[in-house]
Amino acid sequence: MKEISELQLPEDVRYAEDHEWAKSQGDVLRVGISDYAQDQLGDIVFVELPQAGDRLKKGDEFGTVESVKAVSELFMPVSGEITAVNGALEDAPELVNTAPYSDGWMIDVKPDDPSELDALMDRDAYLDMLKGSEQ
Amino acid sequence: MAHQTPLHAWHTTQGAKMAEFGGYDMPLWYASAKQEHLSVLTAAGLFDTSHMAVVGVQGPDALALLQACFTKDLDACIGRHNGPIASGRCVYGAFLSDGGEVIDDAIVFKTADRRFLVVVNAGMGGTVSRHLEMHAEGLDVRVEDRTDGVGKIDLQGPLAGKILGRLVDGGPSAMAGMVYFSFKGHFDPDAPGYADLMLKDGTPVLLSRTGYTGEFGFEIFMQPDRVLPVWESVLSEGAPLGVLPCGLAARDSLRAGAGLPLSHQDIGAWPFIHHPWEFALPFTPDRSGFSKSFLGDKALLEAADAPWTAAYVGEDLRKVNAADGAQVLLPDGRIIGSVLTCATDMGIGRVGSRIYSIASGDAPEGFSPRGLCCGFVKTDRPLESGQTLTLRNGRRTIQAGVVGDIRPDRTARRPIQTML
Repeated sequence: MKEISELQLPEDVRYAEDHEWAKSQGDVLRVGISDYAQDQLGDIVFVELPQAGDRLKKGDEFGTVESVKAVSELFMPVSGEITAVNGALEDAPELVNTAPYSDGWMIDVKPDDPSELDALMDRDAYLDMLKGSEQ
Repeated sequence: MAHQTPLHAWHTTQGAKMAEFGGYDMPLWYASAKQEHLSVLTAAGLFDTSHMAVVGVQGPDALALLQACFTKDLDACIGRHNGPIASGRCVYGAFLSDGGEVIDDAIVFKTADRRFLVVVNAGMGGTVSRHLEMHAEGLDVRVEDRTDGVGKIDLQGPLAGKILGRLVDGGPSAMAGMVYFSFKGHFDPDAPGYADLMLKDGTPVLLSRTGYTGEFGFEIFMQPDRVLPVWESVLSEGAPLGVLPCGLAARDSLRAGAGLPLSHQDIGAWPFIHHPWEFALPFTPDRSGFSKSFLGDKALLEAADAPWTAAYVGEDLRKVNAADGAQVLLPDGRIIGSVLTCATDMGIGRVGSRIYSIASGDAPEGFSPRGLCCGFVKTDRPLESGQTLTLRNGRRTIQAGVVGDIRPDRTARRPIQTML
């Protein structure tokens, strides 16, 4: 398990309390789970994602991520329409472990309200939350 | 504050993901629970099992006390002809309440005449010793919780014998002839058999051909101060052969695939009958009764309505979270019970209608399984092998089938001469 100081927490993404990240890419937001989340879950063996075209609200479950140990829900960090899902995870779910912010991305969302991204935590706020939960 | 085993600092230094289990702070995995699971099927894995509890039972009436409390008939349990337990042999069974419910499961080791070691689950040393003492009235027997005086590590997997053969004084021939559920040596200077089996570094061990993975291997008992050096020498000898340290996650997925119960989860506060582990009960050949009288026996014989436990395998590797109450349904939608264990055996997969393991000699070329969900269900009726079930928890619903066995081609019972 990684120490908090060993976690990759990039500056160019925003973080949700349930450990999803979201990043602006043109007019969509790309969404995945943080390095902290993948490290806590351990080996990810299956990822269940929605269909492109699904409309989901902030806080809705958009899928599940399954580790050797447990099945965990994934929650929408913003409201919007799913425009794409990462099909590579079907055959290579371990990408979520090895590259949580790049090849291990999960969904692209066209947000109903782009300003919802700003309501998510920046790196420092997320780091503070993680430090708080370790105590 | 959780207890720590002698390897606690080693685990945290290695960056293991830790969690409390049975009152001990234990490693769930190191780098990868999946690789750890697979290492036990293809090479060997090393487990810290010093959290498990050990109870000593000795004295002129030691056998009588165990016969009165343990489900296995120690006078009729060894070999095809049901002989009495001999020194150097061990057997699996359970301790029950008067109502036939499980207090804990155990392996009873006969170390010498009138001397037994009872190995039970983490945190259960006190409970089981008190239970035995309560039933020892009028008997000449001493019961002692020896948990803090015993350390244990398990080396499990097809290469376990080759690796240990290099570390044992006398080499592989010192382990020759060890059948499944037998042991050699002792770690206690006051016990008969002490120093009958030594490691080359001078560590006296009790080496038992048992384990909790379904694979060929050993449990190695020793004094607690010997655990760290022995752990490190097994790893340095085994690492070039693919041996990995393994945490409790791999231990759980391996035992589930091997069809072995987890005490207080798959067996527990309901009658210890109607399950895949009835070999732990002393049924007479015609199954009309038991070959001996023991605590809980009457309750078991009268428990016609007790719940039934069966093993299942899922369609693919997807699981339901069993911890928070997953339901079991028949195809017509009737709810008939609950899920006890749901784990993923990462070493097995389906090809057509058949399940292969990565260790199957006849697996098709290029077989590379992603794993299958498996475990046990507790239902209000007996289920036939092949019965289709739906397992449901919240949004997640999976299909599963009742089976007699889960992971094929396990190595636990292989003749030792082929494994050294």
